[in-house]
Amino acid sequence: MKTFLARRALTSLVTFIAVITVVFLLARATGDPLAELENDPRISPATIAAIKAAFGLDKPLHQQYLSYLANLFRGDLGYSLHYKEPVAEVIARKLPYTLALLVPSITLSNYLAYAVGIEVGWRRGSRFDSIFMSVSMFVRSTPYFWLAIVFLYVFSVVLGVTPLFGAVTPGRRFEWSLDWLLDYLWHYALPFTVLTFRGFLSELIYVRNVAVDVLGEDFVTTAVARGLPEKYVKRRYVARNAMLPIVTVLGMRYAFIIDGAILTETVFSYPGTGRLVYEAIFNRDFWLLQGAVVVLAASVIIVNLVIDLLYAYLDPRVRYR
Amino acid sequence: MTMGSALREVLRVLFGSRLGLAGFSILLAFSLVAVFADLLAPYDPYEIVGLPYTPPSDRFPLGTNDIGQDILSEFIYGSRVSLYVGLTAPLIASVLGTLLGLLSGYLGGLVDEVVVGAVDVMLALPSLPLIIILAAYLGPSLNNIVLILAFFGWSGFARVVRAQVLSLRERPYVEAARAAGASGLRIMFRHILPHVVPLIIANLVLSATSAILAEAGLSFLGLGDPTVKSWGQMLRRAQAGHALDQGLLLWVFVPGLGIALLGTGFTLLGIAIEERVNPRLRFSRR
Repeated sequence: MKTFLARRALTSLVTFIAVITVVFLLARATGDPLAELENDPRISPATIAAIKAAFGLDKPLHQQYLSYLANLFRGDLGYSLHYKEPVAEVIARKLPYTLALLVPSITLSNYLAYAVGIEVGWRRGSRFDSIFMSVSMFVRSTPYFWLAIVFLYVFSVVLGVTPLFGAVTPGRRFEWSLDWLLDYLWHYALPFTVLTFRGFLSELIYVRNVAVDVLGEDFVTTAVARGLPEKYVKRRYVARNAMLPIVTVLGMRYAFIIDGAILTETVFSYPGTGRLVYEAIFNRDFWLLQGAVVVLAASVIIVNLVIDLLYAYLDPRVRYR
Repeated sequence: MTMGSALREVLRVLFGSRLGLAGFSILLAFSLVAVFADLLAPYDPYEIVGLPYTPPSDRFPLGTNDIGQDILSEFIYGSRVSLYVGLTAPLIASVLGTLLGLLSGYLGGLVDEVVVGAVDVMLALPSLPLIIILAAYLGPSLNNIVLILAFFGWSGFARVVRAQVLSLRERPYVEAARAAGASGLRIMFRHILPHVVPLIIANLVLSATSAILAEAGLSFLGLGDPTVKSWGQMLRRAQAGHALDQGLLLWVFVPGLGIALLGTGFTLLGIAIEERVNPRLRFSRR
């Protein structure tokens, strides 16, 4: 288990370095991060040279890369020209909103997909199966942001039961009170529902296929032939064996839900890291964009690592591969 | 596989399952709309033909947008862009992935190690954030988006192809070909590739949906090609122009439905092919 853990952690590190190298190369190869300032007539060339020296932009590329790596591992993600504060501080302020949205949403949608997917797979070929499959295929083909707009229109505009934007009522400051919590949850409901709804239905088709695959195994046929109760076969034979392949896919699903967070938070003007990506593009705030992307990428890699370890724990065969 | 048997196989996929037929019909309908856009669209989608924000009427069935272009015509021409992105990006990705998968599976050794390592890293990369970075730096152009999506799509194909090659290369007929003096290239392309093609096609069709969704998402975030009338660009304009506040519901609903239906079409067809290729998944009654 120890060597497996070490090897897996090493792969994650390599992936992370690959991500930040790609981000660095793109940033340096395709543009001057200070272009916005250089076009501003109020800023003198001397000031720009001073800023370049301060950020190390006058040094050769490999030195810039090394200091970029060193800064990153120290937690220094650069400076946001729009927010006028360090990128790490901006992200640290926004990340809790995103995590509070994503973690419960992933947990619930995975649970629902697992519970319903096994049932749908069990009844393969039935009308129940066709309906769930068609709905699932349709929903997973809808753009996240469009689904968010439709939900927003129905619940906030037509029915008027949920707010139009934000994580709390504008102007409201954070405090430890029930009042604040209720306000927060009221704003939370709709983005959470959109993410969970789409996540659940997108995964359903996958769980169903895995269940159908397991149902074709000889040991299931034997169990049915032995006359074991249906419920018992479903739980102990099908659900349990379907669990392993499903767990691996959860990591990939997490990467997709990051996409969802970026688009959904944008539609709901939800003040999380996803919305930050949109703002950074909009304001041409490249350090912020890089920082947000690196943080989101790191979270995907960490989740993948945790899932792989979980997988190795569930299935001992993996460890000795 | 001869032409005749290949054709029979295609027909079997299309008419052998309700799913495949439904998917094929949806794709056919959208393809016809795209091909005959010039005939079907009432106006030039770039031309200003009415007042801005005109509600739906006989003249403008879906109304006009914020600068007075006909929304129905925009929608009809938009099908071309979605089909283009949905077909080209996975196609480029599949060629790249198939070549690497073949080489890696057949040659083994160092080549295999490198390709497998790269695939592992690519699969673990969070694609949308990186696609966003790439699109932001490379600038808004439809072909840039296609290339970026292809770059992030090849790894899935490489993995599937490699796994197939590993099992195929041990088959007696491949050994026979080798004994008869066939070269490595000939064995790869002549004897192994044809058996992998159905699987590649299933993957190709299935990944069209994600390419279409990615283009729409990028357009919505303001990283799409503003000179191209895609459904994603329409939705961006609709959102920026406060379409819902203006009461122009169809401006928002129709392009989104277009994307979802086209994606469903690709998924249905892809699953039908996959079930044909991998019979264990078949929708059979117990």
